[in-house]
Amino acid sequence: MRNVLVLMIAILACALVGCSQSFHWSKAHPAYHKAPYGELAVAGTQKAFVLTRTPWFANRLNISNDSIQLQVTALCEKYALDELRGGYAKLDILPASAISHFPEESQKIDERIFLKGKLPEQGVVVKDSTGNVPPVILLIHEVIIGTDLKREDYFDYSLIHNEAQTKKLVENITAIVSYTLWDNIKQRPLFNAIDEIQHPVKELTLEDMNSLMKEMVQQIRSNLYLGAK
Amino acid sequence: MRKIFPVLLIAILATFAYAGEIYFNSNWTLWSDPDILIWTPDKEPAIDVKEFCLSLRRANSGIGNPKCRTFGEWERDSLAVRYAGWLSANMEPNLEAGYLKARHPAMSAKIQTLEDKIVLFIADKGTFLQIAIFDETAATPRAAGSVRKNPDKVALGDDIADTFFDRQTKRRLSREERLKKQAEPDDFYKEVPNFRAWAGVSAGYAQAQLPLTPDDWYSSHTGSKVRNYRITKDSVSLWNFLDDSGPLFTLYAGGVWYGFIGGEVFYRYANHDMKTDSKDSIYNELDHWNFSQHEIGLNVIFSKDFDPAKWLDIHLFGFLGFQYSFYVEDIGLKDDKVKPSKAYQSRIKFEDVYKGALLGGGSQFVFAEHYGISIRTGISSRGKNVYSDPTPDAAAEPTTIGASTIDWFISFGLEYHWSL
Repeated sequence: MRNVLVLMIAILACALVGCSQSFHWSKAHPAYHKAPYGELAVAGTQKAFVLTRTPWFANRLNISNDSIQLQVTALCEKYALDELRGGYAKLDILPASAISHFPEESQKIDERIFLKGKLPEQGVVVKDSTGNVPPVILLIHEVIIGTDLKREDYFDYSLIHNEAQTKKLVENITAIVSYTLWDNIKQRPLFNAIDEIQHPVKELTLEDMNSLMKEMVQQIRSNLYLGAK
Repeated sequence: MRKIFPVLLIAILATFAYAGEIYFNSNWTLWSDPDILIWTPDKEPAIDVKEFCLSLRRANSGIGNPKCRTFGEWERDSLAVRYAGWLSANMEPNLEAGYLKARHPAMSAKIQTLEDKIVLFIADKGTFLQIAIFDETAATPRAAGSVRKNPDKVALGDDIADTFFDRQTKRRLSREERLKKQAEPDDFYKEVPNFRAWAGVSAGYAQAQLPLTPDDWYSSHTGSKVRNYRITKDSVSLWNFLDDSGPLFTLYAGGVWYGFIGGEVFYRYANHDMKTDSKDSIYNELDHWNFSQHEIGLNVIFSKDFDPAKWLDIHLFGFLGFQYSFYVEDIGLKDDKVKPSKAYQSRIKFEDVYKGALLGGGSQFVFAEHYGISIRTGISSRGKNVYSDPTPDAAAEPTTIGASTIDWFISFGLEYHWSL
């Protein structure tokens, strides 16, 4: 009897404090049955990468603070695309102009989680530079690179106004990536997700950045497989 | 009539045989005398537009005079054409409305300016037609489905009308009425009235035993009988003398401020028989002996309002109050008995007045803002007046008779409510 009482009090306390703080970080369309295999088009990478805490990265990578943003984001884009090329025999990288003229839209993933990005218009197919129509496109909306970041702080709208404390002691470098697998034929989002990748570092080198991007791409690929029903 | 019946039967059977498949159908409003705009991504609509109006009148007798035409404005608009093509490619049986939303802001703006016209989307998919219905209230289709294709355009129109337009119609509002309706406050934002009052009568039942409590808590009181007009095992509760269970009637009036705190005055009446021991021969002279219980008092009420429907308000409440109880004796000897016994003359007397408390809760269900039924339950007590001055020889005084008379009650009332 006492145990039941204790359990009930625990449940009540839990309901009051709200300890069931779990998020869904991906959402699949009911018609998403098969992950892309062998062939994929990617769009949005040219403008997606953002580096936070630039002085910290500039100091450790011996790059001047003025050019760190440009240099590291370009490098990360290259690392990520290289890793993607390894995964798909035919990787079609669409130019920035392919989707940059579409308006930005929000897509709901969970109760308080919204993903923001540019999606092609209904009834309009996106063509690559040679005029072909890729059947599915991986739209990379945003890749936030930093140290010890949490995706809740960026995508849970109840938390985005919180100022995250910058930790002195860095344990991990982080990449938070939001992306959509786009059905270009029927113009619908097949799979939306936000992934967070932590890579532990002691002495930061460019090799660490490379592994972070590799892990990110592997995470995206495995999520694309797991998300298909 | 005899001629019409087989026709009707065939029509009903035909309805079932050709009825299309509905993917989803929300509560959209079908106006009487509606304007139906037929919108298609195909070169020609798959149905005959003029015949479709007749199909509507056959399928729905309440529809009045529908007007149907092709929606040329949207068929010439490149944005609407793109969305129509997209919708036709994306409509599938298992997709909810949210997946078919018109994402382009200009397209959803177009849908919002439809006023009370109904857009019927028809796309020819070879073996079947895709059907979707739009109105101004949402950027998603309000209903979607399909009907099997039929070379007979009249039958096809009948199928669509039977599947999607067989519902209750509403009178279309005039422009002024629409504007007025838009300015009307939403029921959801209805303010709690400053003051709500009620008056009511109730009938119920009271007994000494609280439900779900063991009998033996009460058996010493409820089981005892009165011998020789005054003797019982114990006299702390009146239920040693009086029969505890019986009907209870209440008149009451009260009010609540801001749907939260309030008060109530009440008068309660019950009649209790004396529990005379029939084996005692002294009662042979007695015709009847009972007490009327009159109680007046005041409750403090704490209330919480619920509004599950427009025509129903529910007020849950708890109350705490005090009461004064008066027991009025009614005793009579048999007609043939002239002189009562000595025991009769020195029979038990109760206190003039008892002071007690009430505690309980209940709920009022108010229909159409005025007519309420209520249920309430609680416990009430009667005790001696604790505010009397203590005297030095208080310890030596005998126990007040009936100083711990507690009972449980439940009652059902009819009420009339006002609110300010």
